[in-house]
Amino acid sequence: MNSCIELSDKLIESTIEIFTGMVMMEISVAPGPMPKLGPLRKSITGMVGLAGIHKGVLAVHFPYQVATAVTSNFLGMEVEEINDDVQDAIGEIANMLGGNLKTILSDRGKDIQLSLPSTIYGDEYSLASQADVDQIILPFQTPVGIFYVEVELER
Amino acid sequence: MELEKSLINATLEVFASMIFIDIAPETPSDSETEAIESNLCGLIGLAGDLRGLLAIQCPGEVAMGITGAMLGMEVTELGEDAKDAIGEIANMVAGGLKEALAVLGKKIELAIPTTVIGKAIRTSGLSGASRVMIPFSCPLGRFGVELRFILS
Repeated sequence: MNSCIELSDKLIESTIEIFTGMVMMEISVAPGPMPKLGPLRKSITGMVGLAGIHKGVLAVHFPYQVATAVTSNFLGMEVEEINDDVQDAIGEIANMLGGNLKTILSDRGKDIQLSLPSTIYGDEYSLASQADVDQIILPFQTPVGIFYVEVELER
Repeated sequence: MELEKSLINATLEVFASMIFIDIAPETPSDSETEAIESNLCGLIGLAGDLRGLLAIQCPGEVAMGITGAMLGMEVTELGEDAKDAIGEIANMVAGGLKEALAVLGKKIELAIPTTVIGKAIRTSGLSGASRVMIPFSCPLGRFGVELRFILS
């Protein structure tokens, strides 16, 4: 993988594929330049680590109302609050995207391993990674609001 | 359990060699509910023979105290310094765990450390994963070292 643009394009493709195929929700890339993520408010983040020849983190950030709508669609049942189902669904989306990212970065995903997905949520929080990283932030528009896909890869 | 011992040893070693404050492990808990109210959380993903996530959970004042001790200066806000310090501690504890597991013939790789700062943040793993939570006490208060994992 040689450029962030190529990686972004493939990530967009993967995200849309997962949402169309698994979540059954139409999404599109929100237009505009790459946004900066300020503190996240009333949101839930699913993240999964990448280790091996590429080290990094993939995170998905959903405001509560988007997270519950996505979970409701994904599981085919009405979910109204941030509960275990939402945490599992958001973690699973991070996990699926992480799996795709692995294949994008390395032929058939060998030499890269994923950590366990986890979720973080709260009224207000901000996330930062330590290492010197290349960062990609992609905003996606859903019928209920925007969510973000973030990738940080160690240089 | 071996894993708990390795985690405790790795944490003690990091604090003894880098931070120079006395900490003592409390009884580990594998309950789902044991948690330490945290404002700053250092996270790092683990992959390989053990897939998981290691988290250092600190209340704000403990995070600032640890950061101050590590950097040898007074720290009065939860900013970049605290973020870097707690992330680095997560990284080093994970490194210690990696070494301890290597001795047992289990190979793991580390992702990169991430820190989360916020009010009343909660973290959780995927259902089905095991969880070990070790509370530590130090003069500044308590903090937690948590490992969520699946052995493969």
